[in-house]
Amino acid sequence: MESSSKPLRRVVLGQPVPADLDDEPLPTEPMTINMGPSHPATHGTVRIVLLVDGEFVQDADVQVGFLHRCFEKESEHATYTQVFPYTDRLNYVSPMLNNVGYALAVEKLLGIDQQIPERAQYIRVIVGEMSRITDHLTCNGASAMELGAFTPFLYLMKAREWLYELLEEVSGARLTHSYVRIGGVAADLTAGFADKLRAILLKLREAVRDADALLTKNKIFRLRMDDVGTIDGKTAIAWGWTGPCLRSTGVAYDVRKDHPYLTYDRFDFEVPVGSRGDNFDRYAVRMEEIQQSAKILEQALDQIPAGPILLDDPQIVLPPKREVYNTIEGMINHFKLIIDGIRVPPGEIYSYTEGGNGELGFYIVSDGTGRPYKCRVRPPCFTIVQTLPVLIKGRQIADIVPTFGMLNMIGGECDR
Amino acid sequence: MTAAPAPTPQTVTLKIDGRTVTVPKGTNVLEAARQLGIDISYFCYHPGLSAPAVCRQCLVEIKGQPKLAPSCYTPVADNMEVFTANEKVLLARRQMLEFTLVNHPVDCPICDKAGECTLQKLYFDWDSKASRVDVPKVRKPKVVDVGPNIVLDQERCILCTRCIRVCDEVAHSSQLTMALRGDREVLTTAPGQKLDNPYSLNTVDVCPVGALTAKDFRFTMRAWELSMVPSICTGCATGCNDEIQFAAGRIYRLYPRHNPQVNQYWMCDEGRFTYHEIHEGRMGAPTVAGAGAPWEQALGAAAHKLLAPLTHDRARVGVVLSAQASNEDNFALARLAFDGLGLERAYVGGRPPRPERADKILRHADVNPNAAGALAVGRGQLKPMAELSADLERGALRALLILGEELSLTAAGAQAAARLDALVVLACHENELVRAAHVALPLAAWAEIDGTMVNAKHMVQRLRAALPPAGDARPGWHIVSLLGGKLGFNLSWTEPRAVFREMVDKVPLLRDAQWGRTHVPIQLRFAGSRG
Repeated sequence: MESSSKPLRRVVLGQPVPADLDDEPLPTEPMTINMGPSHPATHGTVRIVLLVDGEFVQDADVQVGFLHRCFEKESEHATYTQVFPYTDRLNYVSPMLNNVGYALAVEKLLGIDQQIPERAQYIRVIVGEMSRITDHLTCNGASAMELGAFTPFLYLMKAREWLYELLEEVSGARLTHSYVRIGGVAADLTAGFADKLRAILLKLREAVRDADALLTKNKIFRLRMDDVGTIDGKTAIAWGWTGPCLRSTGVAYDVRKDHPYLTYDRFDFEVPVGSRGDNFDRYAVRMEEIQQSAKILEQALDQIPAGPILLDDPQIVLPPKREVYNTIEGMINHFKLIIDGIRVPPGEIYSYTEGGNGELGFYIVSDGTGRPYKCRVRPPCFTIVQTLPVLIKGRQIADIVPTFGMLNMIGGECDR
Repeated sequence: MTAAPAPTPQTVTLKIDGRTVTVPKGTNVLEAARQLGIDISYFCYHPGLSAPAVCRQCLVEIKGQPKLAPSCYTPVADNMEVFTANEKVLLARRQMLEFTLVNHPVDCPICDKAGECTLQKLYFDWDSKASRVDVPKVRKPKVVDVGPNIVLDQERCILCTRCIRVCDEVAHSSQLTMALRGDREVLTTAPGQKLDNPYSLNTVDVCPVGALTAKDFRFTMRAWELSMVPSICTGCATGCNDEIQFAAGRIYRLYPRHNPQVNQYWMCDEGRFTYHEIHEGRMGAPTVAGAGAPWEQALGAAAHKLLAPLTHDRARVGVVLSAQASNEDNFALARLAFDGLGLERAYVGGRPPRPERADKILRHADVNPNAAGALAVGRGQLKPMAELSADLERGALRALLILGEELSLTAAGAQAAARLDALVVLACHENELVRAAHVALPLAAWAEIDGTMVNAKHMVQRLRAALPPAGDARPGWHIVSLLGGKLGFNLSWTEPRAVFREMVDKVPLLRDAQWGRTHVPIQLRFAGSRG
């Protein structure tokens, strides 16, 4: 130890504390600490190696990949249909949106994207928007909870559960739906679906309003969110941001509006944008998008036509069981689709949709067989999470929690 | 595609789907189209057989002809214009498929051909539409025992006659025929006759559906779950090219692979069944005096046993190469025996010839796959089995180092062998000789090694490993190099290809041999449907 020129001052019990004690800065030195891979605030598994000077973050190294499941490689060995369950597990808070995004990519490669029955397109919009709502509910609810606001979390989770229950009713699974098929969807909406969804939307709006009121007017919440993790639109675009995070900076880019797919061009909805690009804007954009999604859902329920939910093409869609068991034609079609897979003409496609976190892209290369030659995902939160160090440098450790939460990294999607 | 040959009097130039192609005179339209990468669908045509044009699946339109023509049966002509996929042709193709399926049973889930069925493939590729015929299907016998190796399902048969032509044209044994007419027509044998010829299982290969199934393979495995490596048959000196089809450490069948210079598209039944020996009666671990021992101990014991005769009585120590083993194994042993130990007595072993099985088709009297290769690496010093028996009987040998357990010794020779001072055998299977050996070392069999063999036509062909060696077995060249180490002769190969490189360097007869490319086993589901 180096000897100090100053004598150590001590606080002696029973004697007044020296008046200048507080003026003396405590000697600090940079320290490297790990946040994660297993940390209460890193929902999902991510490691942030921090270089801190006291409470202040000097540098951060975000290390992702702990949830890598070889999505791309697995897909190369699965038929096009067998990839759906893998997509469920990308952004597992909004699996329907992944299902839809993947199906659209394959359908474009097959050249059938304009032929998908209208009812199937509406169903895809409906389950997709429901998934978007559950995604935003989870993100905002969990982030609020991490800042100590437990009540809004429960309000929002309760609302999410209503939607999950309805999605379960339609798809048979609460979370990993695997509901969409190439050429349409697996099953029609259940009886009374529209009424149930309308009732849920009413309750949902109320729950969101309550939670929002508890948070927006909460001083602690605002102090930790306002002007924390600020970024401007230009920088955000340069980092590859999309989705609610990009819109919080004032850039009104939404794939549903700018490159409409399915039936999104038939709905009246707004794209909410922020102005400061801070955590609170990201929170507010998500809250407003829940309302907009609810608006889309109501319109979709009004507009949805009756009709088939699957394309009528025996080389793409499995025949009904009745035909499989009773005719050789149905049997062969079924057999070939299951064993060899849907034969997709050689080519490549990049198809993108608005996922829960932004632009969810699928890049698929086909060699003409029933399995993708390559199937890559552009996960929106991957490009967003890389920006975390920029947002938290110079700020306190406590600021990491709301900032990271508002970027909404989903391990399944980021790490694939 | 390679550059088109220049037109000569022996060639014909025609247009197929608007593209020009030049082919030899006499080629049929179907093969000419194939040269352009255009696949015309067919059931009854087979490149190795005559073309009867019975299935009408390969119909194409030829400009100037009023009716569609079967492309398998129509020879090319100059300035011919062929359309293989216009509306008319596609309609005919679909309608033929619809007809073919009218009486086809809903058997795919229980059919052995499912997954490699031409009917499934063509229907899914070209039609895929529902049938417009709604009448009960004609019922026919489903389990007809047509022969010792084959079962016939007459319902599944689409009457393409490929199997009949295989019997007539390949096996030269006309045992199958069509009987009755119309939708009652069936494939059958003559009353009291059986489909029983040495090439009968080729009918199963060429069957485009699951009408003919092999008793050996049926209900054992889903075809698309099998993996495949190209290799050669080791049943006789012909060396038919085949695919080893296996899954989870077990071979399920050998399937002929096209080689115009060896076996065309065919293979004999006996050759197909050689895979059984890979899984039966194998030596799993080294033995010393009949008791199991670890490798290190067994190698030590072998060296120890051989050392005394080698030191004091080198002229009475013999080595036996094997016409059953690969060139690499034989070459390794020859290197050890001649260069390392300086032995003078060398023999070549193998199975005794079976002249009765020879025919002018594929089957050879010599049932050893590599007699030519063993002789090539034996430096002209190998003596036949008869001399080994004689030498053993008159006590001219004190010790023997043997590759392969198949020796065909006389009874007296075998007894004398059991009395030798040292008997070391490298063996795949257990037999009397192995049990009599002082040390027996387990040898990897032909489906477990990479290597080369030389067939009766002196063609060097590749063996490829499909499975890991059974139990503790090791490839022959590896055992020889380990044994060489124990005997003070360093052979430092680490892979069969290194042995091969040294061999082509040193053996003039194998100078031009090629190792060929590496094949990673490919699952048939990824190889696309056959047919």
